[in-house]
Amino acid sequence: MEIFIQQLVNSLSVASVTILIGIGITLIFGLAGIVNFAHGEFLMVGGMITWFLVTSGLNFFAALLGAMILVGALGFIAERGLFRFTLERPMNGFIMSIGMSVILQHVVIRIFNEVQKTIPDPIGKVWVIGGVDIIAMRGVVVALTAVVVAITYFGISRSRYGMALRASIADQDTAALMGIPVRRYVTGVFVYGSVLAGLGGALMIALFPITPFTGSVVIIRGFAVSLIGGLGNVGGAVGGGLLLGLVDGLSAGYGFPEWTDAYSLVVMIAILIVRPQGLFGGTLGPRST
Amino acid sequence: MAALEIAGLRKEFGGVIALAGVDISIESDKIVGIIGPNGSGKTTLFNVVAGVHKPTAGRVTWQGKDITGKSAYRIARAGLVRTFQQAMSYPGLSVRENVRIACEHGRRREHGSKQKWSSPEEILDFVGLRGLEDALAGSMPFGNLRRLGVAVALGANPILLLLDEPAAGLNDSETSELSQLILQFPKLGIGICLIDHDMYLMGTLCERLVVLNFGTKIAEGPPDLVLNDPKVAEVYLGGEI
Amino acid sequence: MAASAENSSKEKIVAAVAIGLFLVIFPWLNPGYRYLSLAITTGITAIALYGLGLQFGQAGIMSVGHAAFIGVGAYTAAILSGNVGAGFWVALPFSILLSAFIAGLVGLPSLRVSGQHYIIITFCFCALLNIALTNGGAFTGGATGLDVGSIDRIFEINFDQLRNAYYLVILALFICVVVIYLIINSSYGRTLNAIRENEPLARAVGINANLHKIGVLMVSGALAGVAGILQAYYLHHISPALYGPFPSLYLALMVMLGGARLIYGPLVGAIIVNFLPEIMRLDPIDSRIAYGVGLLIVILLLPGGVSAGLFGAYRWLMSKRQQ
Repeated sequence: MEIFIQQLVNSLSVASVTILIGIGITLIFGLAGIVNFAHGEFLMVGGMITWFLVTSGLNFFAALLGAMILVGALGFIAERGLFRFTLERPMNGFIMSIGMSVILQHVVIRIFNEVQKTIPDPIGKVWVIGGVDIIAMRGVVVALTAVVVAITYFGISRSRYGMALRASIADQDTAALMGIPVRRYVTGVFVYGSVLAGLGGALMIALFPITPFTGSVVIIRGFAVSLIGGLGNVGGAVGGGLLLGLVDGLSAGYGFPEWTDAYSLVVMIAILIVRPQGLFGGTLGPRST
Repeated sequence: MAALEIAGLRKEFGGVIALAGVDISIESDKIVGIIGPNGSGKTTLFNVVAGVHKPTAGRVTWQGKDITGKSAYRIARAGLVRTFQQAMSYPGLSVRENVRIACEHGRRREHGSKQKWSSPEEILDFVGLRGLEDALAGSMPFGNLRRLGVAVALGANPILLLLDEPAAGLNDSETSELSQLILQFPKLGIGICLIDHDMYLMGTLCERLVVLNFGTKIAEGPPDLVLNDPKVAEVYLGGEI
Repeated sequence: MAASAENSSKEKIVAAVAIGLFLVIFPWLNPGYRYLSLAITTGITAIALYGLGLQFGQAGIMSVGHAAFIGVGAYTAAILSGNVGAGFWVALPFSILLSAFIAGLVGLPSLRVSGQHYIIITFCFCALLNIALTNGGAFTGGATGLDVGSIDRIFEINFDQLRNAYYLVILALFICVVVIYLIINSSYGRTLNAIRENEPLARAVGINANLHKIGVLMVSGALAGVAGILQAYYLHHISPALYGPFPSLYLALMVMLGGARLIYGPLVGAIIVNFLPEIMRLDPIDSRIAYGVGLLIVILLLPGGVSAGLFGAYRWLMSKRQQ
């Protein structure tokens, strides 16, 4: 039982990072209609910024804030400077984001190097809850993710901003006629998703080492989670992240660890073909026809 | 027997009934119009007949053969060709290529048939796009695009042409030019079935009108009778025109 | 009008002959080992890029998993050679057919799913194949891969000599360019363009879009198969890393960089990416950055790729000169 609970918290903390990246993708793809292949690199950059700030002597949580702000700024620049010009031709935007991911990866290698980066456990405590040892940082990761999920969920489904946002996805032209600044919303969603990637990167490096190539692993899982959950569906992304975490855990536990990555790929292909709106329902992306 | 027989045609989209069992016969030597308020199922009817969507139930017979649920390209090759309201052309290709592609794929041309065209240029001449053969389709004004849409459909060598709102977005003089064009088709051996909102246009063009509302046929007959039918008036006055 | 058309077809022939001649005499210009082997790699990449250029430029179906089909060709050759002792010339048709077949199979979702969704599928498939190759045990050689021998001599030509290998690749490239040229300028090419420009309309005038989409993906896969077997026999060793998602992404970038629609586009893309860093003496990391930046610039400013840009610049210069 103790081991089970420890395992559960560990799995949840890993799933948290996946969920954060998945929510970013689900919002940016599903609501803004942009496929940002560099989203995984945004997370990696967030992790690297955190590492740099922490090794320069900054407190982890200040570094985390810094990563969120800087990656958000990166998202703003990318949206205003690049994706803005390809909104009419999403395919070009997709290809451009691949180019951007190549650039970010190698700029990070150029500035730092290829070696993996770690930071010491920011809290360094172990909580004992009901006789079970839980690494405090892992609990914090899960809690922070839960807060972010709640904020995002209510922001999208309940707030006026969220409703206007979803209206503008349903019909951009009508939304524009109703005075909804669709373009600004696209930027807003993109930057918000990027901030979450920054947060995800910071939390990830608090748990595991990060290399410049981490982004390319994370992005596949992020797409899998958002497609399983249904694009634009925050709750679905959470469900997808937990599902994927569970499958990974089981597959590792039952002796097929080398095929772990294959499951998310197979699930993703199957979902795209059979149920492109995801298991939990969502949009197909604004311009998917 | 009419060339196109639609019997009990039904189409549902995830519980929403777009067509609730429609029966229509269309001859291939007349101009037949289909009218009805927005959402009455007109475009869905075209989509199901032309093979874009598969029907939930019912039967479509074309020249005595069952074509229900057949692929769009097979139906087109059998001489039942439709045009689109939007997306009428291949924007990145030249006007000539637009028509040429249709000529290369549509119904096979037989020697000595009533069809008067054998080349894309002749078709473009007929619809009034002569001299624009090398223009990029995507660079043309809307009125010309509508003509090109018709030219592309003619390239496929139709027996019956389904025109989806051919006059939408055209001004009065463009509309009357287009109706002059459409009126010539039956003489050339091409039947017409068209959808449009313009009651005046439909009244002057069509020999017979079919009225749809909520996916069912509520009236059918010569234009003067149908347009004065109280049921039809109710549909239009009650809803939007 | 007629005069300029005649002029431009004359220009085309002159350009083709000039490029062909240069490629033939290249080994005699004393390029040295480094540049000659770079030219071979470039040629092999270009063959695969022509397939990708065909499916994207003409039919509008992009893929970011194309290296997978090169991998199918390469592994087919290596496995046939290792398990049944089949040489290059025996394995060649198998590599071509299997790559084409798998490409057609992976293309099936493109009949249901379009645009970005399909691109993601191609990427997933490529990653999946990579995992399968890595975990394939002795059959695929695992992560270390497989060794491949030499091409059987024909007329006593030793293809392990760099110059001979170069000519073999150039011959294959030449055949591939001719095939692509014939396709682009045939009614089949127009059919593909119609599908790219407006698929519903294409169907509505009698085009069997499903058949032609799978068909073009299979042609593209076949070219990837040729590139794969050439690469396997040139490198003498293959491993999964060569055919994973990253090489695929770079292929997609190369095609966009060079331009997919014009006949020299894929070749230009392959040459820029392989030779420019070498000539400018960039290290691999800087060249990747430059490569990404170049791609962003091309997409934002030259949507037709560098080849279309060069062509446009040439046209502009000529019209200036005539004034």
